[in-house]
Amino acid sequence: MSDLSDLLKAPGAAIEADEDFDAINALYMERGWSDGLPIVPPTAARVEKMLAYCDRPWNESIAKIAPRYGEATPLRLAANAVMAGCRPEYFPLFMLAIEAMCEEPFNLYGIQATTHLCAPLVIVNGPVAVELGINSGHNAFGPGTQSNATIGRAIRLALVNIGGAIPGAGDMSTFGAPSKFSYCVAENEADSPWEPLHVERGFAKDTTTVTVIGAECPHNVNDHESLSAEGILTTIAGTMATTGNNDVYYDALPLVVMGPEHAKTVAQGGFSKADAKRFLQEHATLPMNRFSKENIERRFRGTLKARYGESPLDTPIPVVQRAEDIIIAVIGGAGKHSAFIPTFGATRAVTRALRTGEGQLAKSVKDFRR
Amino acid sequence: MANKILLVVPEAPAPAGEAVVNERAIDKRGIRLGVLDNSKGNADHLLKFIVDAVKAAVPVASVVSLRKASVSLPAPKDILDRLAGEADVVVSAMAD
Repeated sequence: MSDLSDLLKAPGAAIEADEDFDAINALYMERGWSDGLPIVPPTAARVEKMLAYCDRPWNESIAKIAPRYGEATPLRLAANAVMAGCRPEYFPLFMLAIEAMCEEPFNLYGIQATTHLCAPLVIVNGPVAVELGINSGHNAFGPGTQSNATIGRAIRLALVNIGGAIPGAGDMSTFGAPSKFSYCVAENEADSPWEPLHVERGFAKDTTTVTVIGAECPHNVNDHESLSAEGILTTIAGTMATTGNNDVYYDALPLVVMGPEHAKTVAQGGFSKADAKRFLQEHATLPMNRFSKENIERRFRGTLKARYGESPLDTPIPVVQRAEDIIIAVIGGAGKHSAFIPTFGATRAVTRALRTGEGQLAKSVKDFRR
Repeated sequence: MANKILLVVPEAPAPAGEAVVNERAIDKRGIRLGVLDNSKGNADHLLKFIVDAVKAAVPVASVVSLRKASVSLPAPKDILDRLAGEADVVVSAMAD
């Protein structure tokens, strides 16, 4: 493990500045190293505290972040984590999320550079989500919790500063999205009637994981009236079925976030998660003639000719091709709401387990202390 | 006057030295033009205009036109290999 002061002697690793909060913020803003909000100055002392929770070499590349393919070293990541306001104990999960989104199936290049308004959503499962107090309940996608807010913000800063997702240059999103500031939640495992997301994806319940999804912002599903599983799922399916949705045109894995109250009603109706997915896949459809003439000609009769070339205009077009491709997570607090989160489409969700530098499954962030 | 402080740079530079530009030995008959249609709407039309414009401007010995299956995914290796082998210059379209 190299000493930090040695690493900071490398060309371009550090800069000297006046010890003045406003001046440092102005400098980082001017250099494009900010998301527009004030940053915590990444002093050597603060970065070293952050790295106390990193048991890997601080100057070793853990991933290359597209589209620039900049080398994500713990040192650079720690600077971004400090700037975002992370507590040092958040650092292992932040690093894990970056590694997960750099796996090829996620297609980070596309997600970063596209005109679409997607951003990597991080869903944390397992004991470390509880240890770090990552909000999975009321307002989980909103403000108010340091871990959610700052882990998500650190990810965005790293995507910009290391990956080169500079608005208008490496990030060509037509609109951008509020989720590009921060997009990190935990699953509400305690209030879920079903197996958690990471268990469904092949991990043990006591394993901590992150699942990254190239996602839009949540779209609310209000259903205060339905008292049956079929009723609630019909409302969700109706919300999913829209013509301008990327997922319609790809073999996509969109996310259905079920509020705990909706999830319990659906489970009490005898529906497993797999049953709920089947219902949603079958009912989240639109007849082809609801799409524009040009989309029918160019997409369904063109790009998707093998699937829809000869189909009549009243053919139901599913939002998702296979039931198992719908991702269901239970998140949120009390209330008769769920949410649909469409994706970029050309992306696969990636789940990774939290492991120490030696490859052991981590039970706690304390396992990373140097 | 404020004290000086050392700050860690959060940025990574672009990887250097990975792309090498080859010397091109252009045949007297003209350039071998490659066209990569990224499958965006109207990319095919735009590329046709570009090919016609290039042909009007310089001698073109051959044109190889290939199309990606998805606009959102990188071109697969076989397409890149073919362009590398059969073209001196490649035009890739983006046309929203």
